[in-house]
Amino acid sequence: MTLFDKIVSRELTQNEAIDLLRQWRENNERKSNEIAMIHMFYDIYSGKISANERLMLKEQLIFASLDVHDLLTEFQIDFLLQEFPASMRVMRYKAMVREAKEKYDEALEILDYIIKADETNAPARKRRIAIFKAQGQITEAIKELVDYLKKFMSDVEGWQQLCELYLSVGELQRAVFCAEEMLLHQPHCHFHHQRVADIRYTMGGVENMELAKSYYCQALKLNPENMRATLGLFLTTTNLLNHYKSSGNSAKRKEAWKLSQWTQTKAAKRTATKKIKLTKMLLNLAITE
Amino acid sequence: MAELLLDPHIRFWVFLPIVVITFLVGIVRHYVSIILSSQKKIELLQVQDSQVMIRARLLRENGKYLPRQSFAMRRHWFNNEETGYFKVQKRAAASQNPMTDPGMMTDMLKGNVTNVLPMIVIGGWINWMFSGFLTTKVPFPLTLRFKPMLQRGVELAYLDASWVSSASWYFLNVFGLRTIYALVLGENNAADQSKVMQEQMSGAAMAMPPDPKAAFKAEWEALEITEHKWALSNVESDLLSITEDKN
Repeated sequence: MTLFDKIVSRELTQNEAIDLLRQWRENNERKSNEIAMIHMFYDIYSGKISANERLMLKEQLIFASLDVHDLLTEFQIDFLLQEFPASMRVMRYKAMVREAKEKYDEALEILDYIIKADETNAPARKRRIAIFKAQGQITEAIKELVDYLKKFMSDVEGWQQLCELYLSVGELQRAVFCAEEMLLHQPHCHFHHQRVADIRYTMGGVENMELAKSYYCQALKLNPENMRATLGLFLTTTNLLNHYKSSGNSAKRKEAWKLSQWTQTKAAKRTATKKIKLTKMLLNLAITE
Repeated sequence: MAELLLDPHIRFWVFLPIVVITFLVGIVRHYVSIILSSQKKIELLQVQDSQVMIRARLLRENGKYLPRQSFAMRRHWFNNEETGYFKVQKRAAASQNPMTDPGMMTDMLKGNVTNVLPMIVIGGWINWMFSGFLTTKVPFPLTLRFKPMLQRGVELAYLDASWVSSASWYFLNVFGLRTIYALVLGENNAADQSKVMQEQMSGAAMAMPPDPKAAFKAEWEALEITEHKWALSNVESDLLSITEDKN
């Protein structure tokens, strides 16, 4: 029985439900479906919660119901707005509801008002960019985001978003810059290494391949279970082997060959019990001349 | 030395009142400071400066994970003589005298009203009202060195050091009620007077706004002397040797 079924069949007690919500809030777990269901099936507000937590629960509900496209939350926001008439945070929810209803102009109007009142309101600026992205105006979104990042330079999520936007328009050189920026902020995250390597591999050329190889290795060093990095390393080394075959750099060729072998044994181990052999698939994927 | 006996009235009229008064004053202080506190408005430029500083520091620390060219490109962006960020951005030096800033003045005044004033008034009043009482005795022997700490206001040379005078009992309460406040008012409350005392002891460490000009210059220097050392130069052999060890 999944957690979701448990929630729907009302098997949790009220306190368990509140604890679950609290836990998700603390761990930043999205779980929007579950949260919306808990709010539907349990009367959590009558439980033993402080006034502060009541507001946090409401915020959690608003985000969750926007995610599951339950736009009835608007009256909840209106209640909050009555309670805190000047709150930028509540106004932002209002803008988000407008955004969910695809009334982008109204949402932008509210957001512009917020930014005008409080220049340092980063979440409102980010929502503006999200609206451009939702409308498909990628170049506009990129322009805004670059502008945002000029002011909030150590916002990793901002860099990540910019990286994805650049990738979607094929600006690999710029995307790699953003990916490197993420790497600077969180050098111990194997995903960031893997991302830089992915982009470098896509860019092609011997120099980029060498870099991709190093970053894939680093990603695998940080997390040996990273299958995508294993595959990437295999593809990169195969590519490099092809190149060195012609130019004849024996030391480098030997290393690339070793790494290639290593990825294959690793893949073989991973799928030892299964019928489909990953190694075979790897070899089929490799681009050989 | 003969055993001392305390009048039980001291318990009800001195010992407990001091606990209750210090506790209640702390609670009141907490709420008064909430009323008086003003949300500090941060300026966009300040945010930008601090984020730039973070980014430059991270480049220094984690730049080794970037290829040499990427590192040099970023450093060039920060440090280049003509167009570098640290060279181009001109920030006004922080005002030398906080008195010229009216916002600072009110903040200081509020701090004094909520922190220092009650301390002086209540402390003085307790000293005057309850002076000269022995209130309690700590249940273990103490050396003579503790006498000035525990027997303020009662200058008897032959009194056992484990007796506690009323004024000292007040100070013990001021410092000891912190955890009770945390229980009653939650973490980060403003009731705690001992924090104020520590701040005063540290003297000149008043919260001056950081001077962006000086900080930029320091960061520029630090970045200038940073050498790029490619951290992933041996990663391939490392990876192979790690897995070989396992096998």
